[in-house]
Amino acid sequence: MGIENIWQLIGNIIIGFGVFCMIFGAVSLFVLKDFYPRILVASKIDTVGLLSFVIGFAFRHGLSFFTGKLFIILIIMLVLNPFVAHILARSAYRSGHELAAEAEEGEKS
Amino acid sequence: MTQGLLVLWIVSSLAIVFETRTYRLIIYFSIFSLITSVAYFLLGSPDVAMAEAAIAAFASIFFIICIEKYYSRKENVEKDSAKGESLARKAVKAVPALVLCVGLFFLVIYFIPGIEPSHYLKHLYLQRFMTDVGGENAVTAIYLGYRVYDTLFEALILVIAVVAVTHMSYSEKTQVADGSHSEIETSRVAALSLRIICPIIVAFGAYLIINGHISAGGGFQGGLALATFFICRYMVYDIYDISVKNVLQWEEFIFAIIIVVTAIAVFLGAATYMPAAIVPIYQSVYLIIMNLLIGLKVACAFFVLFYRYITIERE
Amino acid sequence: MIVFWILAVLLSAYITRAFMGPTIWDRLLGLNLIASKVIVLIIVVASIYDMSFLLDFAIIYALSGFIGIIFLALFFSKSRLDKKREKKDGH
Repeated sequence: MGIENIWQLIGNIIIGFGVFCMIFGAVSLFVLKDFYPRILVASKIDTVGLLSFVIGFAFRHGLSFFTGKLFIILIIMLVLNPFVAHILARSAYRSGHELAAEAEEGEKS
Repeated sequence: MTQGLLVLWIVSSLAIVFETRTYRLIIYFSIFSLITSVAYFLLGSPDVAMAEAAIAAFASIFFIICIEKYYSRKENVEKDSAKGESLARKAVKAVPALVLCVGLFFLVIYFIPGIEPSHYLKHLYLQRFMTDVGGENAVTAIYLGYRVYDTLFEALILVIAVVAVTHMSYSEKTQVADGSHSEIETSRVAALSLRIICPIIVAFGAYLIINGHISAGGGFQGGLALATFFICRYMVYDIYDISVKNVLQWEEFIFAIIIVVTAIAVFLGAATYMPAAIVPIYQSVYLIIMNLLIGLKVACAFFVLFYRYITIERE
Repeated sequence: MIVFWILAVLLSAYITRAFMGPTIWDRLLGLNLIASKVIVLIIVVASIYDMSFLLDFAIIYALSGFIGIIFLALFFSKSRLDKKREKKDGH
Protein backbone atom coordinates (compact mmCIF):
# COMPACT_ATOMS: atom_id res chain seq x y z
CA MET A 1 0.00 0.00 0.00
CA GLY A 2 1.76 3.11 -1.26
CA ILE A 3 1.63 6.63 0.02
CA GLU A 4 -0.73 7.67 -2.84
CA ASN A 5 -3.29 5.12 -1.73
CA ILE A 6 -3.33 6.56 1.77
CA TRP A 7 -3.97 10.05 0.42
CA GLN A 8 -6.77 8.67 -1.78
CA LEU A 9 -8.29 6.91 1.21
CA ILE A 10 -8.23 10.11 3.28
CA GLY A 11 -9.81 12.00 0.37
CA ASN A 12 -12.53 9.39 -0.02
CA ILE A 13 -13.35 9.55 3.68
CA ILE A 14 -13.65 13.34 3.58
CA ILE A 15 -15.83 13.18 0.43
CA GLY A 16 -18.04 10.61 2.19
CA PHE A 17 -18.43 13.02 5.09
CA GLY A 18 -19.47 15.74 2.62
CA VAL A 19 -22.09 13.49 1.02
CA PHE A 20 -23.39 12.65 4.51
CA CYS A 21 -23.75 16.37 5.33
CA MET A 22 -25.52 17.10 2.05
CA ILE A 23 -28.02 14.28 2.56
CA PHE A 24 -28.81 15.70 5.99
CA GLY A 25 -29.33 19.11 4.41
CA ALA A 26 -31.77 17.67 1.87
CA VAL A 27 -33.68 15.78 4.58
CA SER A 28 -33.91 18.88 6.74
CA LEU A 29 -35.56 20.74 3.89
CA PHE A 30 -38.52 18.37 4.09
CA VAL A 31 -38.64 17.60 7.82
CA LEU A 32 -38.59 21.13 9.18
CA LYS A 33 -41.78 23.12 8.93
CA ASP A 34 -40.75 26.74 8.63
CA PHE A 35 -38.42 28.91 6.61
CA TYR A 36 -35.98 30.09 9.29
CA PRO A 37 -35.07 26.64 10.65
CA ARG A 38 -34.78 25.42 7.10
CA ILE A 39 -32.34 28.11 6.01
CA LEU A 40 -30.33 27.69 9.22
CA VAL A 41 -29.85 23.94 8.89
CA ALA A 42 -29.77 23.62 5.13
CA SER A 43 -27.28 26.37 4.35
CA LYS A 44 -24.98 25.55 7.27
CA ILE A 45 -24.80 21.85 6.51
CA ASP A 46 -24.55 22.55 2.81
CA THR A 47 -21.58 24.87 3.26
CA VAL A 48 -19.78 22.25 5.35
CA GLY A 49 -20.57 19.61 2.75
CA LEU A 50 -19.25 21.69 -0.13
CA LEU A 51 -16.04 22.61 1.69
CA SER A 52 -15.34 19.01 2.68
CA PHE A 53 -16.00 17.98 -0.94
CA VAL A 54 -13.39 20.44 -2.18
CA ILE A 55 -10.84 19.43 0.47
CA GLY A 56 -11.42 15.76 -0.30
CA PHE A 57 -10.77 16.25 -4.00
CA ALA A 58 -7.66 18.27 -3.15
CA PHE A 59 -6.38 15.30 -1.13
CA ARG A 60 -7.13 12.94 -3.99
CA HIS A 61 -5.17 14.96 -6.54
CA GLY A 62 -2.14 15.84 -4.46
CA LEU A 63 -0.03 18.92 -5.13
CA SER A 64 -0.85 20.02 -8.69
CA PHE A 65 -2.43 22.79 -10.77
CA PHE A 66 -5.80 21.17 -10.15
CA THR A 67 -5.46 21.65 -6.40
CA GLY A 68 -4.54 25.32 -6.82
CA LYS A 69 -7.75 25.99 -8.71
CA LEU A 70 -9.68 23.99 -6.13
CA PHE A 71 -8.38 26.30 -3.42
CA ILE A 72 -9.58 29.36 -5.35
CA ILE A 73 -13.04 27.77 -5.40
CA LEU A 74 -12.67 27.01 -1.69
CA ILE A 75 -11.97 30.66 -0.85
CA ILE A 76 -14.80 31.94 -3.05
CA MET A 77 -17.38 29.54 -1.63
CA LEU A 78 -16.19 30.13 1.93
CA VAL A 79 -17.06 33.79 1.46
CA LEU A 80 -20.09 33.55 -0.80
CA ASN A 81 -22.19 30.72 0.59
CA PRO A 82 -22.77 32.18 4.08
CA PHE A 83 -23.14 35.60 2.49
CA VAL A 84 -26.03 34.56 0.25
CA ALA A 85 -27.72 32.79 3.17
CA HIS A 86 -27.30 35.93 5.26
CA ILE A 87 -28.86 38.13 2.58
CA LEU A 88 -31.77 35.70 2.13
CA ALA A 89 -32.60 35.48 5.83
CA ARG A 90 -32.14 39.20 6.34
CA SER A 91 -34.39 40.27 3.50
CA ALA A 92 -36.98 37.69 4.53
CA TYR A 93 -36.98 39.17 8.03
CA ARG A 94 -37.19 42.73 6.76
CA SER A 95 -40.07 41.97 4.45
CA GLY A 96 -42.14 40.84 7.42
CA HIS A 97 -41.97 37.07 7.11
CA GLU A 98 -42.60 35.56 10.54
CA LEU A 99 -42.25 32.18 12.17
CA ALA A 100 -45.54 30.31 12.25
CA ALA A 101 -45.54 30.00 16.07
CA GLU A 102 -44.70 33.68 16.55
CA ALA A 103 -47.43 34.72 14.15
CA GLU A 104 -50.02 32.75 16.15
CA GLU A 105 -48.86 34.36 19.39
CA GLY A 106 -49.12 37.77 17.80
CA GLU A 107 -52.72 37.09 16.78
CA LYS A 108 -53.68 35.90 20.28
CA SER A 109 -52.25 38.85 22.19
CA MET B 1 -26.00 10.17 -16.55
CA THR B 2 -27.00 12.93 -18.93
CA GLN B 3 -30.46 11.40 -19.43
CA GLY B 4 -31.34 11.89 -15.75
CA LEU B 5 -30.47 15.54 -16.06
CA LEU B 6 -32.60 15.87 -19.19
CA VAL B 7 -35.61 14.57 -17.24
CA LEU B 8 -35.07 17.30 -14.62
CA TRP B 9 -34.77 19.76 -17.48
CA ILE B 10 -38.15 18.79 -18.92
CA VAL B 11 -39.77 18.92 -15.48
CA SER B 12 -38.53 22.44 -14.84
CA SER B 13 -39.61 23.66 -18.27
CA LEU B 14 -43.09 22.21 -17.69
CA ALA B 15 -43.21 24.05 -14.37
CA ILE B 16 -42.48 27.27 -16.24
CA VAL B 17 -45.24 26.60 -18.75
CA PHE B 18 -47.96 25.99 -16.13
CA GLU B 19 -47.08 28.77 -13.67
CA THR B 20 -48.95 32.04 -13.90
CA ARG B 21 -47.52 34.07 -11.00
CA THR B 22 -44.74 36.37 -12.12
CA TYR B 23 -42.34 36.18 -9.20
CA ARG B 24 -42.33 32.42 -9.13
CA LEU B 25 -41.71 32.43 -12.85
CA ILE B 26 -38.46 34.35 -12.39
CA ILE B 27 -37.16 31.81 -9.87
CA TYR B 28 -38.23 28.88 -12.05
CA PHE B 29 -36.49 30.48 -14.98
CA SER B 30 -33.28 30.74 -12.97
CA ILE B 31 -33.49 27.05 -12.07
CA PHE B 32 -34.23 26.17 -15.68
CA SER B 33 -31.25 28.05 -17.04
CA LEU B 34 -28.93 26.54 -14.39
CA ILE B 35 -29.98 23.06 -15.46
CA THR B 36 -29.68 24.09 -19.12
CA SER B 37 -26.11 25.22 -18.66
CA VAL B 38 -25.18 21.99 -16.85
CA ALA B 39 -26.72 20.06 -19.74
CA TYR B 40 -24.61 22.07 -22.20
CA PHE B 41 -21.60 21.34 -20.04
CA LEU B 42 -22.17 17.58 -19.93
CA LEU B 43 -23.04 17.36 -23.62
CA GLY B 44 -19.68 18.83 -24.51
CA SER B 45 -19.99 22.52 -25.37
CA PRO B 46 -18.31 24.31 -22.46
CA ASP B 47 -18.20 27.79 -23.99
CA VAL B 48 -21.96 27.95 -24.42
CA ALA B 49 -22.42 26.64 -20.88
CA MET B 50 -20.28 29.44 -19.51
CA ALA B 51 -22.21 32.10 -21.42
CA GLU B 52 -25.54 30.57 -20.31
CA ALA B 53 -24.49 30.58 -16.65
CA ALA B 54 -23.57 34.24 -16.79
CA ILE B 55 -26.69 35.16 -18.74
CA ALA B 56 -28.88 33.35 -16.20
CA ALA B 57 -27.76 35.78 -13.53
CA PHE B 58 -28.35 38.82 -15.69
CA ALA B 59 -31.67 37.68 -17.13
CA SER B 60 -33.31 37.69 -13.70
CA ILE B 61 -32.14 41.27 -13.15
CA PHE B 62 -33.61 42.32 -16.49
CA PHE B 63 -36.91 40.59 -15.73
CA ILE B 64 -37.02 42.67 -12.57
CA ILE B 65 -36.54 45.82 -14.65
CA CYS B 66 -39.48 44.93 -16.86
CA ILE B 67 -41.75 44.14 -13.90
CA GLU B 68 -40.86 47.38 -12.17
CA LYS B 69 -41.65 49.40 -15.28
CA TYR B 70 -44.92 47.54 -15.85
CA TYR B 71 -46.31 47.80 -12.35
CA SER B 72 -45.17 51.35 -11.80
CA ARG B 73 -47.05 52.47 -14.90
CA LYS B 74 -50.26 50.57 -14.13
CA GLU B 75 -50.78 50.65 -10.41
CA ASN B 76 -53.98 48.68 -10.06
CA VAL B 77 -53.55 45.84 -12.46
CA GLU B 78 -55.55 42.75 -11.64
CA LYS B 79 -54.79 40.02 -14.10
CA ASP B 80 -55.44 36.55 -12.87
CA SER B 81 -57.30 35.27 -15.85
CA ALA B 82 -55.85 31.81 -15.53
CA LYS B 83 -57.47 31.22 -12.15
CA GLY B 84 -60.95 30.61 -13.47
CA GLU B 85 -59.89 27.82 -15.76
CA SER B 86 -61.32 24.41 -15.18
CA LEU B 87 -59.21 21.30 -14.82
CA ALA B 88 -60.34 19.97 -18.19
CA ARG B 89 -59.09 23.02 -20.07
CA LYS B 90 -55.78 22.79 -18.22
CA ALA B 91 -55.51 19.15 -19.24
CA VAL B 92 -56.27 20.05 -22.85
CA LYS B 93 -53.52 22.67 -22.70
CA ALA B 94 -51.18 20.18 -21.10
CA VAL B 95 -51.45 17.42 -23.66
CA PRO B 96 -49.71 19.08 -26.66
CA ALA B 97 -46.88 20.35 -24.47
CA LEU B 98 -46.38 16.93 -22.92
CA VAL B 99 -46.44 15.21 -26.31
CA LEU B 100 -43.94 17.73 -27.66
CA CYS B 101 -41.58 17.32 -24.70
CA VAL B 102 -41.66 13.53 -24.67
CA GLY B 103 -41.25 13.45 -28.44
CA LEU B 104 -38.25 15.74 -28.31
CA PHE B 105 -36.74 13.68 -25.50
CA PHE B 106 -36.94 10.43 -27.47
CA LEU B 107 -35.79 12.22 -30.61
CA VAL B 108 -32.68 13.47 -28.86
CA ILE B 109 -31.84 10.18 -27.23
CA TYR B 110 -32.62 7.64 -29.91
CA PHE B 111 -32.83 9.09 -33.39
CA ILE B 112 -30.23 11.78 -33.82
CA PRO B 113 -27.15 9.58 -33.23
CA GLY B 114 -28.45 7.20 -35.90
CA ILE B 115 -28.15 9.71 -38.72
CA GLU B 116 -24.89 9.48 -40.63
CA PRO B 117 -23.64 13.05 -41.11
CA SER B 118 -21.26 14.25 -43.76
CA HIS B 119 -17.90 15.03 -42.17
CA TYR B 120 -16.72 17.51 -44.77
CA LEU B 121 -17.17 20.70 -42.73
CA LYS B 122 -15.93 19.03 -39.57
CA HIS B 123 -12.65 18.12 -41.22
CA LEU B 124 -12.41 21.52 -42.85
CA TYR B 125 -12.76 23.40 -39.57
CA LEU B 126 -11.33 21.12 -36.92
CA GLN B 127 -8.17 20.07 -38.72
CA ARG B 128 -7.19 23.35 -40.30
CA PHE B 129 -8.14 25.96 -37.70
CA MET B 130 -4.73 26.03 -36.06
CA THR B 131 -2.96 27.05 -39.26
CA ASP B 132 -5.80 29.20 -40.60
CA VAL B 133 -6.73 31.28 -37.58
CA GLY B 134 -4.43 30.26 -34.75
CA GLY B 135 -5.09 29.61 -31.11
CA GLU B 136 -6.00 26.29 -29.57
CA ASN B 137 -9.73 26.72 -29.04
CA ALA B 138 -11.77 25.79 -32.10
CA VAL B 139 -14.74 27.85 -30.94
CA THR B 140 -12.64 31.00 -30.84
CA ALA B 141 -11.27 30.15 -34.27
CA ILE B 142 -14.79 29.88 -35.60
CA TYR B 143 -16.25 33.06 -34.12
CA LEU B 144 -13.20 35.21 -34.80
CA GLY B 145 -12.02 33.58 -38.01
CA TYR B 146 -14.48 31.72 -40.17
CA ARG B 147 -17.63 33.41 -38.89
CA VAL B 148 -16.37 36.89 -38.15
CA TYR B 149 -19.31 38.46 -39.99
CA ASP B 150 -21.65 36.82 -37.48
CA THR B 151 -19.67 38.25 -34.61
CA LEU B 152 -19.87 41.73 -36.12
CA PHE B 153 -23.63 41.51 -36.46
CA GLU B 154 -24.08 40.14 -32.94
CA ALA B 155 -22.06 43.05 -31.61
CA LEU B 156 -24.22 45.42 -33.64
CA ILE B 157 -27.39 43.86 -32.24
CA LEU B 158 -26.13 44.30 -28.67
CA VAL B 159 -25.37 47.97 -29.38
CA ILE B 160 -28.86 48.49 -30.82
CA ALA B 161 -30.50 46.76 -27.85
CA VAL B 162 -28.64 48.92 -25.35
CA VAL B 163 -29.47 52.12 -27.22
CA ALA B 164 -33.14 51.11 -27.37
CA VAL B 165 -33.30 50.35 -23.64
CA THR B 166 -31.59 53.62 -22.79
CA HIS B 167 -34.04 55.64 -24.84
CA MET B 168 -37.20 53.81 -23.80
CA SER B 169 -36.42 54.15 -20.11
CA TYR B 170 -35.24 57.70 -20.53
CA SER B 171 -34.83 59.80 -17.43
CA GLU B 172 -33.50 63.28 -16.86
CA LYS B 173 -30.92 62.18 -14.32
CA THR B 174 -28.06 60.49 -16.09
CA GLN B 175 -26.04 60.45 -12.89
CA VAL B 176 -26.60 60.94 -9.18
CA ALA B 177 -23.69 62.21 -7.13
CA ASP B 178 -25.10 61.14 -3.77
CA GLY B 179 -28.43 60.06 -2.43
CA SER B 180 -30.19 57.20 -0.73
CA HIS B 181 -27.97 54.23 -0.08
CA SER B 182 -28.55 50.83 -1.46
CA GLU B 183 -30.06 48.36 0.93
CA ILE B 184 -26.98 46.22 1.18
CA GLU B 185 -24.94 49.09 2.54
CA THR B 186 -26.45 48.76 6.00
CA SER B 187 -25.20 45.21 6.46
CA ARG B 188 -21.51 45.04 7.31
CA VAL B 189 -21.18 41.31 6.66
CA ALA B 190 -22.38 41.78 3.09
CA ALA B 191 -20.05 44.72 2.44
CA LEU B 192 -17.04 42.80 3.77
CA SER B 193 -17.84 39.71 1.67
CA LEU B 194 -18.24 41.75 -1.48
CA ARG B 195 -14.97 43.55 -0.83
CA ILE B 196 -13.20 40.20 -0.73
CA ILE B 197 -14.98 38.99 -3.88
CA CYS B 198 -14.50 42.09 -6.07
CA PRO B 199 -10.76 41.69 -6.87
CA ILE B 200 -11.25 37.99 -7.58
CA ILE B 201 -13.96 38.83 -10.09
CA VAL B 202 -11.77 41.34 -11.94
CA ALA B 203 -8.79 38.98 -12.01
CA PHE B 204 -10.94 36.12 -13.25
CA GLY B 205 -12.59 38.21 -15.96
CA ALA B 206 -9.20 39.36 -17.25
CA TYR B 207 -8.00 35.77 -17.17
CA LEU B 208 -11.00 34.61 -19.20
CA ILE B 209 -10.51 37.31 -21.83
CA ILE B 210 -6.76 36.97 -22.28
CA ASN B 211 -6.77 33.18 -22.10
CA GLY B 212 -9.79 32.92 -24.40
CA HIS B 213 -7.98 31.62 -27.47
CA ILE B 214 -6.18 28.86 -25.55
CA SER B 215 -8.80 27.44 -23.21
CA ALA B 216 -12.55 27.80 -22.92
CA GLY B 217 -13.88 31.28 -22.34
CA GLY B 218 -13.57 34.36 -24.47
CA GLY B 219 -14.69 37.93 -24.85
CA PHE B 220 -18.37 37.59 -24.07
CA GLN B 221 -17.95 35.55 -20.89
CA GLY B 222 -15.13 37.73 -19.59
CA GLY B 223 -17.13 40.84 -20.36
CA LEU B 224 -20.04 39.49 -18.30
CA ALA B 225 -17.64 38.87 -15.40
CA LEU B 226 -16.40 42.46 -15.63
CA ALA B 227 -20.00 43.71 -15.63
CA THR B 228 -20.56 41.68 -12.47
CA PHE B 229 -17.69 43.61 -10.96
CA PHE B 230 -19.47 46.89 -11.69
CA ILE B 231 -22.60 45.62 -9.97
CA CYS B 232 -20.59 44.64 -6.88
CA ARG B 233 -18.86 48.00 -6.94
CA TYR B 234 -22.23 49.71 -6.86
CA MET B 235 -23.47 47.52 -4.04
CA VAL B 236 -20.44 47.93 -1.79
CA TYR B 237 -19.21 51.45 -2.22
CA ASP B 238 -22.55 52.84 -3.37
CA ILE B 239 -20.93 54.87 -6.13
CA TYR B 240 -23.23 56.12 -8.82
CA ASP B 241 -20.99 58.70 -10.37
CA ILE B 242 -20.39 57.33 -13.86
CA SER B 243 -22.44 58.94 -16.59
CA VAL B 244 -24.45 56.48 -18.65
CA LYS B 245 -24.20 58.69 -21.70
CA ASN B 246 -20.39 58.57 -21.68
CA VAL B 247 -20.32 54.81 -21.30
CA LEU B 248 -22.73 54.48 -24.21
CA GLN B 249 -20.47 56.62 -26.37
CA TRP B 250 -17.50 54.49 -25.32
CA GLU B 251 -19.36 51.38 -26.33
CA GLU B 252 -20.15 52.72 -29.79
CA PHE B 253 -16.51 53.82 -30.17
CA ILE B 254 -15.26 50.33 -29.25
CA PHE B 255 -17.68 48.84 -31.76
CA ALA B 256 -16.19 51.05 -34.47
CA ILE B 257 -12.69 49.89 -33.48
CA ILE B 258 -13.83 46.26 -33.72
CA ILE B 259 -14.99 46.82 -37.28
CA VAL B 260 -11.73 48.54 -38.23
CA VAL B 261 -9.57 45.81 -36.68
CA THR B 262 -11.60 43.13 -38.42
CA ALA B 263 -11.29 44.91 -41.75
CA ILE B 264 -7.53 45.32 -41.43
CA ALA B 265 -6.87 41.80 -40.18
CA VAL B 266 -9.24 39.68 -42.21
CA PHE B 267 -10.04 41.54 -45.40
CA LEU B 268 -6.43 42.40 -46.16
CA GLY B 269 -5.57 38.74 -45.69
CA ALA B 270 -2.45 39.52 -43.70
CA ALA B 271 -1.31 35.91 -43.49
CA THR B 272 -0.58 35.83 -47.20
CA TYR B 273 1.67 38.91 -47.20
CA MET B 274 3.70 38.05 -44.12
CA PRO B 275 6.78 35.89 -43.63
CA ALA B 276 5.77 32.52 -42.28
CA ALA B 277 7.73 32.96 -39.05
CA ILE B 278 5.69 35.98 -37.91
CA VAL B 279 2.26 34.56 -38.70
CA PRO B 280 1.60 32.64 -35.41
CA ILE B 281 2.53 35.66 -33.26
CA TYR B 282 0.40 37.90 -35.42
CA GLN B 283 -2.54 35.51 -35.13
CA SER B 284 -2.30 35.33 -31.34
CA VAL B 285 -2.11 39.12 -31.09
CA TYR B 286 -5.16 39.45 -33.34
CA LEU B 287 -7.18 36.96 -31.26
CA ILE B 288 -6.23 38.61 -27.97
CA ILE B 289 -7.04 42.10 -29.24
CA MET B 290 -10.41 41.02 -30.60
CA ASN B 291 -11.30 39.20 -27.39
CA LEU B 292 -10.28 42.22 -25.35
CA LEU B 293 -12.37 44.60 -27.46
CA ILE B 294 -15.42 42.35 -27.39
CA GLY B 295 -15.07 41.91 -23.64
CA LEU B 296 -14.89 45.65 -23.04
CA LYS B 297 -17.88 46.24 -25.28
CA VAL B 298 -20.01 43.62 -23.55
CA ALA B 299 -18.99 44.98 -20.15
CA CYS B 300 -20.01 48.51 -21.23
CA ALA B 301 -23.35 47.25 -22.58
CA PHE B 302 -24.33 45.36 -19.44
CA PHE B 303 -23.08 48.23 -17.30
CA VAL B 304 -25.49 50.59 -19.08
CA LEU B 305 -28.39 48.14 -18.76
CA PHE B 306 -27.71 47.68 -15.05
CA TYR B 307 -27.48 51.40 -14.34
CA ARG B 308 -30.88 51.85 -15.93
CA TYR B 309 -32.21 49.52 -13.25
CA ILE B 310 -30.57 51.59 -10.55
CA THR B 311 -32.18 54.74 -11.92
CA ILE B 312 -35.59 53.09 -11.87
CA GLU B 313 -35.01 51.86 -8.32
CA ARG B 314 -34.10 55.28 -7.00
CA GLU B 315 -36.88 57.26 -8.60
CA MET C 1 -19.66 7.69 -10.08
CA ILE C 2 -21.68 6.80 -6.98
CA VAL C 3 -21.16 10.38 -5.85
CA PHE C 4 -22.59 11.57 -9.14
CA TRP C 5 -25.85 9.65 -8.71
CA ILE C 6 -26.21 10.81 -5.11
CA LEU C 7 -25.77 14.37 -6.35
CA ALA C 8 -28.46 13.88 -8.98
CA VAL C 9 -30.91 12.63 -6.32
CA LEU C 10 -30.07 15.59 -4.08
CA LEU C 11 -30.55 17.96 -7.01
CA SER C 12 -34.03 16.58 -7.65
CA ALA C 13 -34.86 16.90 -3.94
CA TYR C 14 -33.88 20.57 -3.94
CA ILE C 15 -35.85 21.17 -7.15
CA THR C 16 -38.90 19.61 -5.49
CA ARG C 17 -38.51 22.00 -2.57
CA ALA C 18 -38.10 24.93 -4.91
CA PHE C 19 -41.27 24.05 -6.80
CA MET C 20 -43.52 23.25 -3.84
CA GLY C 21 -42.09 25.63 -1.25
CA PRO C 22 -44.93 27.44 0.49
CA THR C 23 -43.35 30.90 0.49
CA ILE C 24 -41.18 32.67 -2.05
CA TRP C 25 -38.23 32.50 0.36
CA ASP C 26 -38.26 28.70 0.32
CA ARG C 27 -38.03 28.84 -3.43
CA LEU C 28 -35.05 31.18 -3.28
CA LEU C 29 -33.38 28.87 -0.74
CA GLY C 30 -33.90 25.97 -3.12
CA LEU C 31 -32.36 28.01 -5.94
CA ASN C 32 -29.32 28.81 -3.80
CA LEU C 33 -28.79 25.17 -2.87
CA ILE C 34 -29.20 24.07 -6.50
CA ALA C 35 -26.50 26.55 -7.53
CA SER C 36 -24.05 25.15 -4.98
CA LYS C 37 -24.89 21.56 -6.01
CA VAL C 38 -24.12 22.46 -9.61
CA ILE C 39 -20.65 23.63 -8.58
CA VAL C 40 -20.00 20.34 -6.76
CA LEU C 41 -21.22 18.42 -9.81
CA ILE C 42 -18.77 20.24 -12.07
CA ILE C 43 -15.91 19.54 -9.64
CA VAL C 44 -16.82 15.84 -9.70
CA VAL C 45 -16.87 15.76 -13.52
CA ALA C 46 -13.54 17.63 -13.73
CA SER C 47 -12.02 15.18 -11.26
CA ILE C 48 -13.28 12.14 -13.17
CA TYR C 49 -11.76 13.35 -16.45
CA ASP C 50 -8.77 14.96 -14.63
CA MET C 51 -8.98 18.15 -16.69
CA SER C 52 -8.15 21.24 -14.72
CA PHE C 53 -9.58 23.76 -17.19
CA LEU C 54 -13.07 22.49 -16.42
CA LEU C 55 -12.71 24.08 -12.99
CA ASP C 56 -12.99 27.52 -14.61
CA PHE C 57 -16.68 26.76 -15.02
CA ALA C 58 -17.09 26.10 -11.33
CA ILE C 59 -15.47 29.47 -10.63
CA ILE C 60 -17.70 31.39 -13.02
CA TYR C 61 -20.82 29.64 -11.70
CA ALA C 62 -19.81 30.64 -8.18
CA LEU C 63 -19.05 34.22 -9.15
CA SER C 64 -22.06 34.97 -11.32
CA GLY C 65 -24.66 32.77 -9.67
CA PHE C 66 -24.88 34.71 -6.46
CA ILE C 67 -25.59 38.10 -8.02
CA GLY C 68 -28.98 37.08 -9.38
CA ILE C 69 -30.06 35.54 -6.09
CA ILE C 70 -29.05 38.66 -4.16
CA PHE C 71 -30.98 40.91 -6.49
CA LEU C 72 -34.07 38.73 -6.33
CA ALA C 73 -33.90 38.73 -2.53
CA LEU C 74 -33.49 42.49 -2.27
CA PHE C 75 -36.27 43.04 -4.78
CA PHE C 76 -38.76 40.70 -3.10
CA SER C 77 -38.10 42.22 0.30
CA LYS C 78 -39.17 45.61 -0.99
CA SER C 79 -42.14 44.62 -3.02
CA ARG C 80 -45.64 44.90 -1.63
CA LEU C 81 -47.16 42.80 -4.34
CA ASP C 82 -45.36 39.75 -3.09
CA LYS C 83 -47.10 39.73 0.28
CA LYS C 84 -50.52 40.13 -1.29
CA ARG C 85 -50.02 37.26 -3.67
CA GLU C 86 -48.61 34.87 -1.11
CA LYS C 87 -51.50 35.56 1.25
CA LYS C 88 -53.97 35.06 -1.55
CA ASP C 89 -52.64 31.56 -2.11
CA GLY C 90 -53.71 30.63 1.39
CA HIS C 91 -50.70 28.55 2.37
